Formats: sequence, C-alpha cells, structure tokens
Amino acid sequence: MSPRDDTGLTLDELDTDGALREASELAENSYTRSQALRRTGVLVGGGLAIGALPVALSIGQGGVPASDIKILNYALTLEYLEAAFYAEAVSKGALTGSLATFAQTVAGHEAQHVAALQKALGSKAVKKPTFDFKGTTADPKKFAATAMALEDTGVAAYLGQVTKIKTPAILMAAGSILPIESRHAAWIRDIQGAGSSPLPAPGGFDAGKPMSAILAAVKATGFIKS
Amino acid sequence: MTDHLFPTLAELDRDGAIAEAASRVDGHTRAAFMGKVAALVGGTAAVSSLAMPALASAASKGDVAILNYALTLEYLEAAFYKSANDKGALSGEAKKLAKVVGEHEAQHVVALKKALGSAAVKSPSFDFKGTTADQGTFLKTSMTLEDAGVKAYLGQAGAIKSKDILSAAASILSVEARHASWVANVLKVSPAPEAFQSSATMDQILAAVKGTGFIPALASASPSSATSGSPSVTG
Repeated sequence: MSPRDDTGLTLDELDTDGALREASELAENSYTRSQALRRTGVLVGGGLAIGALPVALSIGQGGVPASDIKILNYALTLEYLEAAFYAEAVSKGALTGSLATFAQTVAGHEAQHVAALQKALGSKAVKKPTFDFKGTTADPKKFAATAMALEDTGVAAYLGQVTKIKTPAILMAAGSILPIESRHAAWIRDIQGAGSSPLPAPGGFDAGKPMSAILAAVKATGFIKS
Repeated sequence: MTDHLFPTLAELDRDGAIAEAASRVDGHTRAAFMGKVAALVGGTAAVSSLAMPALASAASKGDVAILNYALTLEYLEAAFYKSANDKGALSGEAKKLAKVVGEHEAQHVVALKKALGSAAVKSPSFDFKGTTADQGTFLKTSMTLEDAGVKAYLGQAGAIKSKDILSAAASILSVEARHASWVANVLKVSPAPEAFQSSATMDQILAAVKGTGFIPALASASPSSATSGSPSVTG
C-alpha cells in the first residue's frame, strides 16, 4: 500500500491500518498504530481506582510481542471511551432508578479496566483521547441505547482478539474483562427490554469482530474528538 | 469428608489438580469416567449455528477432555432449563428466561457434541430436586449454574491448545456471562458484582456440581463399579 503520510494521523488512518492488518494477519504496524493512538490522545489526569487484574500482568519486563501491545492499547482505547461515557453520564445526573445504578456500577468497572490496562502497559500506554458524547449522557433513552451499543461492541472487540493474543497472561487478563462486558451488555439490555426486546442474550453464541470493524464503528459515533 | 466422595470423582479431582498444575488433562481417564456415569438421553436439541470446529484427529487429549468437561456442564444446564420449561411453573420474565436460555444451552450441547464426534461423553441422568418447579428456587439455581459456567469456561482458557476451540469457548463464555447477568437482574441482585471475572478450576466446579446432587450417579454409584477400569484410587 502507499507510504504513510506521517502527519495528521486520524481515526481514518487507524481504520485503514486495522483493515490491512486483519486482511494480512500481520502485526507489523503495531508501533505505528501505537504512535497514532498516542498522537490522537491528550493527557487526562484521572483519579481512577486501582485495577485488580487477577493475573500479574506487566509488559515492563519485555518479552511481550508488539502485536500484544497493540491489542492492549486497542482495548485501552475502548475502555477509555466507555469509562468516559459512564463518568459523564453519572456526573450529568439525568439518570434515575435502575439506569443510575447501572451507570454508577459500570463506570466503576470501566475505570478499573482502564487503570489495569494502563498499569500493564506502563510507558507504552496510549493517552486518553478527548470525547464528545453528543448529548447521549444527559438523556436516559439515548444513554441506554448508547450503553447497549458500547457494551455489545466491547464484547465483540474482546472476542475478536482472543485468538490473536500471544501472551498467556494477557489472554487471561482479557478473559477476565470479556465476561464483565458481556454482563454489562445483558444488564442494560434487560433494563431496556425487561427480558423481551432486546433480549439480554440475543443468541447462543457471541461473535467477535476484527479491529478494523470495531474502529470503524467507533469512528461512526463521532464520540472521539481527538 | 473424603469418605463421602465418589471415588472416581475424587480421582477426577486429583486429576484436575494435577492438570491445573501441569496445564494438561488426562483426557482419556476423565472421558471414560464421564461416559461411565452417563445415561443415554435422546435429546432433540436445536441445530447449532456456531462454527464450532470439528476436532481433528490430531486434537490434543487435553482439549478433548476440556470439551467433554464443557459438554457435561452444558448437558446439566440444558436439562435444567428443559425441566423448568416442562414443569410449567414459571411465569413472566422467568418463563421467558428459561425458554431463551434453555435454547442456548441446547445449542451449546449440539455444538460441543458435533465438535467431539465419537469422543463425546453421553449425558448423565439428572435429578433437579424440585428446583425447576418453583420460580424462586429456579431463579437462584439458574444464577448459580450460570455463574459456575462462566467460571468454568474462564478457568480453562489458558489450558486450551487449539485456537479454534479457544475461540468457540470464548463465544460460549460470553453468552454464559449474559445469562448470569440476566438472571441476576431478574433476582434483583447485581448483574456484574465485580470489575474482573473470577474463574474456577475443574476441581472446584466438579465438586460444586457434585454438591448439588443434581447428578445422582455422582452420589450413588458404588465405588466398585465406579473404579472398575480406572486407575487405582488412594485415600
């Protein structure tokens, strides 16, 4: 493909990278992606709870393939998005009842996922982007619909990387986060549909999606400003 | 305590502990046991849509053992929901949950049996001890089974050698987590009580399953028949 223009990287470019990577099963662009993700981010000093991953996971000692670092930063970016979404929804104060309980609980979980992934990545961690949730955090109906989309996306994203992760400790860490995203997804679906529509568990098998598809979906939301 | 352990289960536990430590499972022994306690059940489960891989002849013994372990748990879950549906004691969202989740578990059974082919263990017979005929008891039992399913699958993630099987197991894991969340929400307890999912070893799960008494063969089979054909048991 054409040489990279190394200025002004955008999510578009990340999508392209993702698609290329999925198609070729190559992970050689990980450093570039990591750079790009970092470039799109801005430093945000979060007072996040300490993550408690059930495995000792740190890439600081080296020996972790670049492809795994890329996957962790991909996960971190999605967790930044989720954590910021719920934190904003909680702070806006527009939610009541079961939705408020859901938002508060899930906000705590996503913040812990962020903290755990940041800790694991150390200096390799991408910075948090800035977000614009376009009013979806201040309206209960929009919040619920958006939360469902984000959680189902999170499930598909983690499932899509399961067989690509090379480091056992990273697989276990991802494995401990995946079912939590699944629980969140079913929870918000049940709040919305009371067990009917949408079904909390819409099928017997959850499907994974490649990085390229997830990044395209995230881009389509317009939630990531920079 | 060990007095009451069904010897072959004790052996399984021991195998499980060894397997956890050594990251491998003596699949033949475990499968032989599971087949021994099983009674043939003619199920007409829905056809699964999962691209569960057919096991290559070169599939590792460990993976076969893990799939049969998963199949046994899915047999249990599928039979539990089928019993609840048949009893007709549920109403409202619990009734809907039993129907939907029951279909999923039946699909998991079909997919795992298909993947295992002739290596698949048979379904044991079950006694759900009235838990499927009372709505409150049904829901609590359902939550216990689903949480156990999540922990069981997650506990094997690091031991599965085939990427195709790992992918399929993760797909099922996620759905079990959805089930656990759903039933918890119906019960008005937290659907996601922790930020990181804990797992359980095969030992822990098998002990918990035995503790339910839902598989009578585990509790009532005589030691002599249970151990015949199996390696020696100590203790």
